[in-house]
Amino acid sequence: MFFHIVLERNMQLHPRHFGRHLRDNLVAKLVKDVEGTCSGRHGFVVAITGIENVGKGLIRDGTGFVTFPVKYQCVVFRPFKGEILEAVVTMVNKMGFFAEAGPVQIFVSNHLIPDDMEFQSGDMPNYTTSDGSVKIQKDSEVRLKIIGTRVDATEIFCIGTIKDDFLGVINDPVTS
Amino acid sequence: MSVEPFNRLVKLAARAFYDDITTKGDNQPKTGRSDNRGIAVVVLDALTRRQWVREEDLAKDLKLHSKQLRRTLRFFEEEKLVTRDHRRETAKGAKIYSAAIAATGDGQQTKEGDEKIKLHTHSYCCLDYAQIYDVVRYRLHRMKKKLKDELEDKNTVQEYICPNCGKRYNALDALRLISMEDEYFHCESCNGELVAESDKLASQEIGDGDDNARRRRREKLKDMLQKMEVQLKPLMDQLSRVKDLPVPEFGSLQAWEARANAAGRAANGDSNANDSSKSSQGLGFGGTPMPFVGETKVEVAFSGVGVKEEDSKSEIANASLKVLPPWMIKEGMNLTKEQRGEIKQESKMGSSSAPLGSSDDKKSTTNKDEEKNLQDEYVKAYYAAILKRQQEQEEAAKKQLELSNAHISNSVLGTSSNRQVGMKSKRDEDEGDDDFEWEEAPTAGNKSESFKVNDLNVQADASGDDEDDIDWEEG
Repeated sequence: MFFHIVLERNMQLHPRHFGRHLRDNLVAKLVKDVEGTCSGRHGFVVAITGIENVGKGLIRDGTGFVTFPVKYQCVVFRPFKGEILEAVVTMVNKMGFFAEAGPVQIFVSNHLIPDDMEFQSGDMPNYTTSDGSVKIQKDSEVRLKIIGTRVDATEIFCIGTIKDDFLGVINDPVTS
Repeated sequence: MSVEPFNRLVKLAARAFYDDITTKGDNQPKTGRSDNRGIAVVVLDALTRRQWVREEDLAKDLKLHSKQLRRTLRFFEEEKLVTRDHRRETAKGAKIYSAAIAATGDGQQTKEGDEKIKLHTHSYCCLDYAQIYDVVRYRLHRMKKKLKDELEDKNTVQEYICPNCGKRYNALDALRLISMEDEYFHCESCNGELVAESDKLASQEIGDGDDNARRRRREKLKDMLQKMEVQLKPLMDQLSRVKDLPVPEFGSLQAWEARANAAGRAANGDSNANDSSKSSQGLGFGGTPMPFVGETKVEVAFSGVGVKEEDSKSEIANASLKVLPPWMIKEGMNLTKEQRGEIKQESKMGSSSAPLGSSDDKKSTTNKDEEKNLQDEYVKAYYAAILKRQQEQEEAAKKQLELSNAHISNSVLGTSSNRQVGMKSKRDEDEGDDDFEWEEAPTAGNKSESFKVNDLNVQADASGDDEDDIDWEEG
């Protein structure tokens, strides 16, 4: 699920950036540092949408670096148990398949794949129904349900299932 | 209060779930002689024929050793099938119980026993039918859920185990376990190939998680579920039969004793049982003098109930045509008088003063009515003023509209003549037009007032009173 929230971060800025573009530099550095990171608490920071305020800087003794407390608005993505996601399959193996929904990795183990789909090894490993009408392979798009999340301080990993109503392949990979 | 269906339930449950329960510890060798399976059923059956029973007596009746019985009963207490009560009592205190027993049967009162003041701890037990009903239902539910979940592999996190070092992983570790060389998961410590592990009922003998095994497992589970349905059918039937019956409730030991004694006394018509229960309070009950616990009744009398009832009655009288609050009423709505709440006043006055008998009450209510009338009038005047204001605003807004939005077609203006500010803003949203509700805000004079008026209109809108307008919006 996506959230638009306000976060705060202490930014250290090198003295060489002090000048007319101090604020721009600060924001650029913030975007570079924060976007794409993951915190277990808030999830993945997708994008910074604005700066709420920049507090008073504090000059560090010895280094000359200045610490600014910056409040910024950002869009975060946090997967939850029970959530339905659409994801792209990245790897298929005997144990199941891995998929990605944006920054989050999801593993679907083979017992959470419908029983009528069987693993076919080979050049392009895939899961196929007996009549061959549905096929899950690399780059397929699937709709899955998250049934478990592991949230560490800096990463989130999910396991999902496609063994439920309206879950499964929604789009085959573009053949080119 | 019939106990019979509940007794049947207990018997069925006993045979279904406690048939092969043995109270012996696992460490003791089971010889044919000490094998006491089935005791549980016997004890439960015996309990269905009794209410509260002293455990020693029960042991004597069942020709069991009291220790063995106690062990069984403790087990049932843990299973929440029986309630137990322990108390230290004199021989005399124990007599209350005897008296109660005598009262439940139709026997005569026992005569005075010996008066030794020596305390013994006696235990009593009794089936707790209400809880048994819940426990059995819960047990069935859990059984079914476990099987179903397994059958559908619902929400289970697959576990993997390393056959070499026995290290266990689950699917959440999957990302760390994949190896580049092949398609299997590998153990982090010994690099062995992991196998899917499942500690489920059906897959105990089937170790590998390949497809064939999975199918077999599913079949087995399905079979199991079916068998369960068939074998527990009588129990489930009994549960559904019992569902709407009142549960036999014996209360706590003391309450039961008191009740049984009272009933016995009433039946026998003599009062010599009285003294036993009385004298026991000091000694046996350990200072809890509550012999009639089960029969306390609390009655709460509200003052001024009459007035309230009157109110609600008059409401009900014209409930078919609901009285709209004044702020909802606007021009262009065709309402009956009742809906406008004009008749309500009179009917209320008449009915409220008529049935009240005491002059004191009457005075207070008439006072109240007068007060209410005054308030109502004031409120009415207030809403009338608001309505007027709305109209003024509307006029102003219309002018504004004509000025600022010349591009809006004439038809819009024509039909919007009897429309109001709030609705316009709504239509704006619908049509995705530019938001001139912002523009007209300053013309509405006092800002907070205008906000309020808008709000009211929106509420009226929400009630969906004028449908043709809405139709027009969509068209």
